[in-house]
Amino acid sequence: MIDSLYVAWRYLTYNWGRSLTLVACVTLIAVLPLALELLLGESQRQLLDRAETTPLVVGAKGSSLDLAMNSLYFGDTVPEPIPMATVARVADTGLAEPIPLYVRFKARGFPIVGTNLDYFEFRGLKIAQGRTLSMLGECVLGAGVAQALGLEPGDSLFSSPETLFDLAGVFPLKMHVAGVLAPTHGADDLAVFVDLATAWVIQGLMHGHEDVTRVTDPTLVMGRSDGNVTATAKLMQYNEITPENIGSFHDHGDPAEYPITAVIALPRDTKSGAILRGRYVGADPDTKGDAQTQQILVPGQVIEGLLANIFRIKNVLDAVILVVGTATVLALILVFALSLRLRQREIRTIFKLGCSRSTVARLLGAEIGIILAAAATLTGLLLAVVAHFDEPLVRALFIR
Amino acid sequence: MSKTTCASRFVPLLLLILGAFQWALAGEKLNIYTVNYPLAYFAERIGGDLATVSFPAPPDVDPAFWMPDAETIAAYQGADLVLLNGADYAKWTAKVSLPRSRLVDTSRGFKDQYIQQPSMTTHSHGPSGQHSHGGTAFTTWLDLDQAAQQAEAIAQAMTRKRPDAKAQIERNLAALKGDLLGLDARISEITHRAPGRPLLASHPVYQYLARRYGLNLTSVMWEPDEVPSESQWTELEGMLKDHPARWMIWEGQPAAKTIERLRALGVETAVFDPCANRPSTGDFLSVMNANAESLDRAFGQEFGGTQGARVVRAPTRSSSGASEP
Repeated sequence: MIDSLYVAWRYLTYNWGRSLTLVACVTLIAVLPLALELLLGESQRQLLDRAETTPLVVGAKGSSLDLAMNSLYFGDTVPEPIPMATVARVADTGLAEPIPLYVRFKARGFPIVGTNLDYFEFRGLKIAQGRTLSMLGECVLGAGVAQALGLEPGDSLFSSPETLFDLAGVFPLKMHVAGVLAPTHGADDLAVFVDLATAWVIQGLMHGHEDVTRVTDPTLVMGRSDGNVTATAKLMQYNEITPENIGSFHDHGDPAEYPITAVIALPRDTKSGAILRGRYVGADPDTKGDAQTQQILVPGQVIEGLLANIFRIKNVLDAVILVVGTATVLALILVFALSLRLRQREIRTIFKLGCSRSTVARLLGAEIGIILAAAATLTGLLLAVVAHFDEPLVRALFIR
Repeated sequence: MSKTTCASRFVPLLLLILGAFQWALAGEKLNIYTVNYPLAYFAERIGGDLATVSFPAPPDVDPAFWMPDAETIAAYQGADLVLLNGADYAKWTAKVSLPRSRLVDTSRGFKDQYIQQPSMTTHSHGPSGQHSHGGTAFTTWLDLDQAAQQAEAIAQAMTRKRPDAKAQIERNLAALKGDLLGLDARISEITHRAPGRPLLASHPVYQYLARRYGLNLTSVMWEPDEVPSESQWTELEGMLKDHPARWMIWEGQPAAKTIERLRALGVETAVFDPCANRPSTGDFLSVMNANAESLDRAFGQEFGGTQGARVVRAPTRSSSGASEP
């Protein structure tokens, strides 16, 4: 048997081009459906686990999928903002505990999630290094962000400008890293958490600057009239919040009207959840305003719908892979058959040397066995790589 | 084993179990943090032995403008309930991260009745245009009816956390409301003796007091521990022509020189302590009773008189009754 394997190995290495092609064909046919299965399983785990633990999400009317993806996985598509007053209105119903989310800005490619400390409690996020959010201008990093950017408590991180061409826009805010979260193997690992007020500072709704009534530089003041000081554009706004300047940070609007992207509503019980959902179909006059512009969704249902679509696509892909696989197997059989025909003289020589038919069959079987074993090994390796990177792959392919 | 022996063995065991149960219950005390002393006092009265109430501001600061350090903020974050005054009081709460689910805005029920202060100096920069930092008057508890409503909000929040102690909380609330509304009636009775009598206030912190009890009050911006400048005296003299007040109420005991010079102008002084921070002696109710006595003297005297006793009490922190950034 060893002899047969040795001869088969020598033959395959001599015809390395053909052998590699055969191994590649078999590997691809095996890897494609298995890798797809692996990734879909992981995507199902990531998507459903998080969606099913998030009872209700309130947001602007529009694509429920965009709202769910932004609220649950901090996806790139930002839904229309809703006013902060929505949080108070949900709380006032007494039916659910609201957690606001403002997911719009980024810091070095990672989403900045504006929320409050209730979010950490709700998701069971634990601080691995440093401490939780305390002051305006601080951030807490997901484990993946800290690792990717090489940051730790005490370091700082700038928010990214929304557009490079907005020269007169809001300056990036230098955020102080207060802590790093323990890994969760979910979307929270790849997020930068800040207090809602810090997100509003990034947007420019809150700002800090020198007291214009006390500035001594005349070029900072355009004019003074009775009870009013008009500052020039030279008046710099602080782009970092420190204990020295935090007192100067203020806003000029009604915080109840400030934007958020969603409210996670945690109903007190199933009945409360059902009643709250009912209020967003416009039946209750008190929430009529909200019901007209906002929607409430059950993330589990939205994600199940998404998964159903993904699995429908998977079924089509499976059918395609089956057809292509069958064609490939047939092609492989043809390759072997043609190979046998081409090797007639060689086989006759083996006979003349005194080998039996079974020896010839063993030789050919050993060749096929080696090719299949090589393909299986390669398939295993590729699947191991896919399994290792399944989380980021799923995030890149399915959750954006 | 006889019945007596059996009982003698089990009774101590039962007592031990009951004691442990009681100890376990006592261990579940609500951890409550507040942003000013009146709320701490209300919470202490309503919670009784159910709650541990903390108000960590140092005694020499005005809690409205205090900024806690990181350690104190962490203590607030760990509380079961954080009682806020609302009306933009303690602006620091908007600049730190606190769990919204544990915040109780005690004045939210009468939010539509907040008093907006006339704007101070306005300024403009950038696209937001001209604006001012004048704000909302925040000494809401000086209207004792509003104080009772704030106490109700605290009781509701405590009941949500400890529904098993509802009866005790309601009992304590009723007693507190009785005291507050009794004092409210007393001040009303005092101030209605001479409706519209002109009064001066050393600082604009009495907006709710003035509204509730119909005071004809005009405020200056004087500090009790500072002797006013000549320009401030001139301003006061001008003010007295249109507003012939014979009493000025102060947050704390003013300097002797100030008292003397005011008296020369025919203005007597009385202390009405807003009691935003913990008093060195007594409690919220005793301070408010002393305040009522001050008003009693001011309103007990015939209009135009120059005599009158001064109420001397421990000086308190100075503050402006409107929120400013």
